[in-house]
Amino acid sequence: MNRTGDDVRRRTRLLAVTTAVAVALPLAACASASGPPKLTWYINPDNGGQVEIAKRCTEAANGKYTIATEVLPRDAASQREQLARRLAAKDSSIDIMSLDPPFIPELAEPGFLAPIPDDVATKVTTDVVQGAIDGATWKNKLVTIPFWANTQLLWYRKSVAQQAGLDPSKDPVTWQQLMDAAKKENKYLGVQGAKAESLTVWINALIESAGGQIIKNPEASADDLQLGLESDAGRAAASIMGRIGREGLGGPGLPTADENATLTVFQGDKGSFMVNWPFVWSATQAAVSDGTLPKSLLDDIGWALYPQVDQGQKTRPPYGGINLGIGAFSNHVDLALDAAQCIVTPENQAYYFATNGNPPASTKAYDDPAVKKAFPMADVIRQSLEQAAPRPQTPYYNEVSTGLQETWHPPSSVNPDTTPKRSTDFITAVLRGEALL
Amino acid sequence: MTSATADVSHQVVDEKPAKVRRSDRARSEVRLGWLLAGPAFLVMVAVTVYPIIQAFFDSLYSYRLTAPADKHFVGLHNYQVVLTDSVWWKAFGVTTFITLVTVLVEVILGFALALVMHRAIKSFRGILRTVILVPYGIITVVSAFAWFYAFDINSGYINHWFDWVPGISPSLNWFAHQGTSLFVIMASEIWKTTPFISLLLLAGLAQVPGDLEEAAQVDGATWWQRMQRVVLPNMKAAIMVAVLFRALDAFRIFDNVFIMTNGANGTTVLSLLAYRTSIGRLEIGLGSAISVLLFLCVIGICFIAIKLFKVDLAAARGER
Amino acid sequence: MKALSTKMKVWWIVITILVLVWSLLPVLSIFATSFKLPSQLNLGSFWPKTWSTTNYEQIFAGSAKDLFLPALRNSIGISLIATAIAVVLATFAAYAIARLDFPGKRLILTTALGVSIFPVISLVTPLFNLWRNIGLYDTWLGLIIPYLSLTLPISIWTLAAFFRQIPWELEQAAQVDGATTWQAFRKAIVPLAAPGVFTTALIAFFIAWNDFVYGISLTSTSRARPVPAALAFFTGASQFEEPTGAISAAAVVVTVPVVILVLLFQRQIVSGLTQGAVKG
Repeated sequence: MNRTGDDVRRRTRLLAVTTAVAVALPLAACASASGPPKLTWYINPDNGGQVEIAKRCTEAANGKYTIATEVLPRDAASQREQLARRLAAKDSSIDIMSLDPPFIPELAEPGFLAPIPDDVATKVTTDVVQGAIDGATWKNKLVTIPFWANTQLLWYRKSVAQQAGLDPSKDPVTWQQLMDAAKKENKYLGVQGAKAESLTVWINALIESAGGQIIKNPEASADDLQLGLESDAGRAAASIMGRIGREGLGGPGLPTADENATLTVFQGDKGSFMVNWPFVWSATQAAVSDGTLPKSLLDDIGWALYPQVDQGQKTRPPYGGINLGIGAFSNHVDLALDAAQCIVTPENQAYYFATNGNPPASTKAYDDPAVKKAFPMADVIRQSLEQAAPRPQTPYYNEVSTGLQETWHPPSSVNPDTTPKRSTDFITAVLRGEALL
Repeated sequence: MTSATADVSHQVVDEKPAKVRRSDRARSEVRLGWLLAGPAFLVMVAVTVYPIIQAFFDSLYSYRLTAPADKHFVGLHNYQVVLTDSVWWKAFGVTTFITLVTVLVEVILGFALALVMHRAIKSFRGILRTVILVPYGIITVVSAFAWFYAFDINSGYINHWFDWVPGISPSLNWFAHQGTSLFVIMASEIWKTTPFISLLLLAGLAQVPGDLEEAAQVDGATWWQRMQRVVLPNMKAAIMVAVLFRALDAFRIFDNVFIMTNGANGTTVLSLLAYRTSIGRLEIGLGSAISVLLFLCVIGICFIAIKLFKVDLAAARGER
Repeated sequence: MKALSTKMKVWWIVITILVLVWSLLPVLSIFATSFKLPSQLNLGSFWPKTWSTTNYEQIFAGSAKDLFLPALRNSIGISLIATAIAVVLATFAAYAIARLDFPGKRLILTTALGVSIFPVISLVTPLFNLWRNIGLYDTWLGLIIPYLSLTLPISIWTLAAFFRQIPWELEQAAQVDGATTWQAFRKAIVPLAAPGVFTTALIAFFIAWNDFVYGISLTSTSRARPVPAALAFFTGASQFEEPTGAISAAAVVVTVPVVILVLLFQRQIVSGLTQGAVKG
């Protein structure tokens, strides 16, 4: 095709005009303002608590910096997706980020997180629950700052427990007892059987409580990771999950039950025992004050430590929560470290717990009167956090977790004789790049 | 005008005043033609051809975004991994199943709707067309949420409304089984896209010569005979084009599945697999291989449609 | 036309109602859900027990404000720009296709067809990688460019179909009067073509407005994230509670303009869709 210079020029002009239209609008939309450096804090969605803390810390900084928040998606896996994508692009706009602990190694390993200086590390780990410190550490170095720490409790309907002859507040209960009780009373157990991160949380807690580990050497490279699923602990976990699934003890909603759906069942007529995060307490209170649920329900709810797998063996409840990571490519690493320390002060943690229901990592925050008032079970939460077990800390956590969900779902298909082996083979193949997820 | 585009343009040329010096005229027309159509053409090529070549290039590497240092050339290994993996073939099967069922139902339903709109008395025609367009205009994600919430075991009302149907009870968890999940996914897809197909078929119906049909009616042909002998043969081209378009569109189904099950219970479709691999796991190499294979599948469908079923796009375009 | 018998009339009413229910029920369903109190979502009823605007307050003034309002702005802005660019480019291209004789017009039409059936997900990975490297990731332009792959092909087909029906004698008359081809196009044809261009713009806008795959893959902050992608970010009172109400409210907000457009321009949309795809 022959084109003269004139044509080309005309064509170029046409393109230039359209491109100019395309570029001009977004530029106009974000005219920059000068002033103190603006730190961007990527937060997981909550009920406005982190935005409020950002505001408080901006005020406390007295013009040294301002903190703006940017929301991440709702589920942990998508949060990781977004952050990993940006960090891989060496994004300098990420100053502080709220990180779900299992995904920290993946970001720490390639150097996406700015190192935490020793003096800061000492400061932010004083009076902090052990589970939170473990979750913030990778290869023996603190790589993030503990912010809040979550754990699951056993919640139960006092009336049902009494009928079944159990008192979890006095004697620790086992999964066996819960399953028998639910079966006998014809009620549903509240467990998270949906194909999501919450399923991995459950599997991990079961295996850890039985004295095992999903990964034996979490710091190894992808090809050398040793899975601990084919063990007595793995089989014990599979047999509990399989029985709940096959005997319908989790109700028909089990294969899609996330934390919220579990709570709905627990609040209903079929509710009996449930493992879940402390948000269930504030959510139930809200429903009662709306008038949707009867007030008597609140009085019927009891709480205790996460159930045991073997009678007498110390339970290892799930550990969750959020730690603050500092972006390695940030232009203001020092200011971001300052800001992060402001965010995690015990006062802010206590405020966050009392208003948003997310338990503090700092042990001091539990002594706050507002906390005791909003969460009468605060002491149980604190104890649970001390013995909680984090999910496997490996840079390949996403593959491991998704691989588990792929092979342990639906719960009714889980069989102690076959599932641990199938799951091990599958995850190993995925890690070696020989299989798709 | 006759059938194909090329003929149309020839006729246009023939109508031009003969006085004008042809060669100059023709040359300037060529120049103007490319001048006008060139930018659009370049943009279309730039946003598709370039990325797919890039994807092919990336697919030859083992490349994980969170481990950029480990990037290395592996040749066709990624393709071997994908094509020997049952995950791919399951997703392929589910995608094909969804495509076949939704297109079949949509064609039948769309044809019925088109007939209704075609025959409707004036006072109903406007309102029918308007309501039919509503699903077409709605964001797929929104429609996915609407259907999901309606069937969800906790927030839904479908189980309560239809508990008299055998098999449906308040304890039916639609999103816990492959069959029921696929049913809801396909229903929402059908709801959203039937309007489009029915409008295409309506246009096809308008092309059926009315006198032929009347003649058949006079001859005493039943409704079914008239459909079979007169209407359907005359609409064949329109139906085939509608089917091809919809099949290719259904084959890349993503939004509904992502929202409703995110691939649980054997509902993973090819697009979701590609998304999960490259965007979720950040395995750019493996993900690119899936992207390229998906692209080849679409080419394959086109090839089959055009060669085997003789879908004639040019004929469908022209007025007969 | 002979008068309809009562029986026929009843049949038509029944059919119309059936179509009405089928088409509108899911829309009505999400509308009803958007007015439910968060604690009353699981009652299993279609209509809310108590009508509440909590969910709307949440997305317009409450905790989801910073998520929803920028997304709404992005969606409107990006879709409008992508539509405008597509329609301008397509108008030129369609004119050339409908009116001029030059080698390669079949190539252009075939390319448009090919692009319109392209599996979007196949484009996402390479674009994501490229955008990261050249700084287009999470920008308006970074979405506008891929949106053109959705809006341009259908615009070209629809417009080419419209342009074939324009009485071109007018243009010839203008040319005889001494105008150049370009002037003839601008003065005689543009006014006639305007309705077709408008319809095309409407259809292209719907398509850009509907996008989800590019939206979730090529953005990561409220700088460019469009509404369909933002819906996945809503949250209930705490991170574990279902944001059903907020999502429904946001869904209603983005659906209302579409329904209004459909109501106003039903005739144009129908003619645009049918011509573009069948006669194009």
